[in-house]
Amino acid sequence: MPGDATVLNQEAAAERFREVVLPHLADALALARWLTGNAADAEDVVQEACLKAHAGIAGYAGGNARAWLLAIVRNACYSWLARNRPRSIVAVGDLSDLDDMTAAYGAGLPDTDSPEASLIAKADTAALEAAIAALPQQFRETVVLRDINGLSYREVAMLLGVPLGTVMSRLARARGLLISQLGRAP
Amino acid sequence: MSAHNDGLPDDPAGMQLMIHALVDGELDAAAALAVERRIAADPALAAEHARIAALQTVVSGLPRPDVREDFKARIAAIGTAGTEKVLSAPAPAARVLPAHRAVHRFGAFDWRALAASIIVTAVLASGATQWMMLSRAPDSFAAAVASGHRRSLLAASPVDVVSSDRHTVKPWLDARVGLSPPAPDLANDGFTLLGGRVEVIADRTVPALVYRHREHLITLVAAPEETGSTSGPVDLSAGGFSLVHWTDSAFSYWAISDTERPELDDFVDRFRAAAAR
Repeated sequence: MPGDATVLNQEAAAERFREVVLPHLADALALARWLTGNAADAEDVVQEACLKAHAGIAGYAGGNARAWLLAIVRNACYSWLARNRPRSIVAVGDLSDLDDMTAAYGAGLPDTDSPEASLIAKADTAALEAAIAALPQQFRETVVLRDINGLSYREVAMLLGVPLGTVMSRLARARGLLISQLGRAP
Repeated sequence: MSAHNDGLPDDPAGMQLMIHALVDGELDAAAALAVERRIAADPALAAEHARIAALQTVVSGLPRPDVREDFKARIAAIGTAGTEKVLSAPAPAARVLPAHRAVHRFGAFDWRALAASIIVTAVLASGATQWMMLSRAPDSFAAAVASGHRRSLLAASPVDVVSSDRHTVKPWLDARVGLSPPAPDLANDGFTLLGGRVEVIADRTVPALVYRHREHLITLVAAPEETGSTSGPVDLSAGGFSLVHWTDSAFSYWAISDTERPELDDFVDRFRAAAAR
């Protein structure tokens, strides 16, 4: 039964929710926007994730609050996609296939078709966003978590539940695809 | 190409990962220095490094979605709603009271009273009883109903099953919580059935119906009535919400809305008349 102690705990939990969740809403929305595909759905998903975060705030054991919240947002995104866009979760084959592909790509270095760095630096925002949206989902979430949410390799690895080396190879593959896509643009 | 003695991978793929790691600031000083030396010695690596760095810069510089003020307020309210629910939770004393009433109902024989109190003590430990007790402590339960209603206003949809057809809503609730209250169609009276949802109050699932009256939502929570007693509508309004509680032979009802009291009373009258038919 909730006594005074529980009430105090709940007040502490509410305080914690404000400190842990609210500062990272922009990051949460950015991740949800890239995983669901649009900004309006992102708000629904982030709100759902925040309800879960609120219920589970006692489980936040310190550490990077952004990474903690983003893990909940990512789960909420995939539940949301499974519910609302069952076809959008395209199976890209076994994950090990994916990483074989990654290795195969890496071996091709240097790619003679690669665009100049100056061309990449001038890339049009819309073209870049379209290129990110077109990435296979595992590559997309890795590059978004690293470059847009600013997590470290280790944090991305923990969040995705994959080895550090897998994060590195997926990131290299994702960036390689983006680079060649931008090189193709006029 | 001659072998390097700097501890870095010799294969191009491995070297490429090191360049990404350098761009991402993931290398310690010694490794970073070694990679930079390799890059300086190899124009192909230098070009790759420049491409990766340029891409990293443009991707991390993409415009962020802005957090709209009303969205931020909605999220901030999640934290507050949770606190209010618990802050207004029943004091332990309020729950002890019904136990005495239960003992009294078992009559004058001492052994029965004793047996009853043992039973009461035994079930006290279980969550199920906590619910029974709570349902007889309307004030605390009402606070939880009010919290549920407020949260539903924050959610994307106030209902889990969307239907104006009670023949859809009732089986849906029945399948989830094992019981379903009357769900009369009051559209002709100006109260449209929007659907239903499951509320979790005091660790128990209870069915809730949602009606719309003009622009206002009315949440009707129906908890199974254990005592068999009936009571007329009682006004429990507080905190900007109108809340009316009544009991019939099967259910205890809580109707809550941000509409005006007379309109909620009108709803309650019509609902009770329709449910009694």
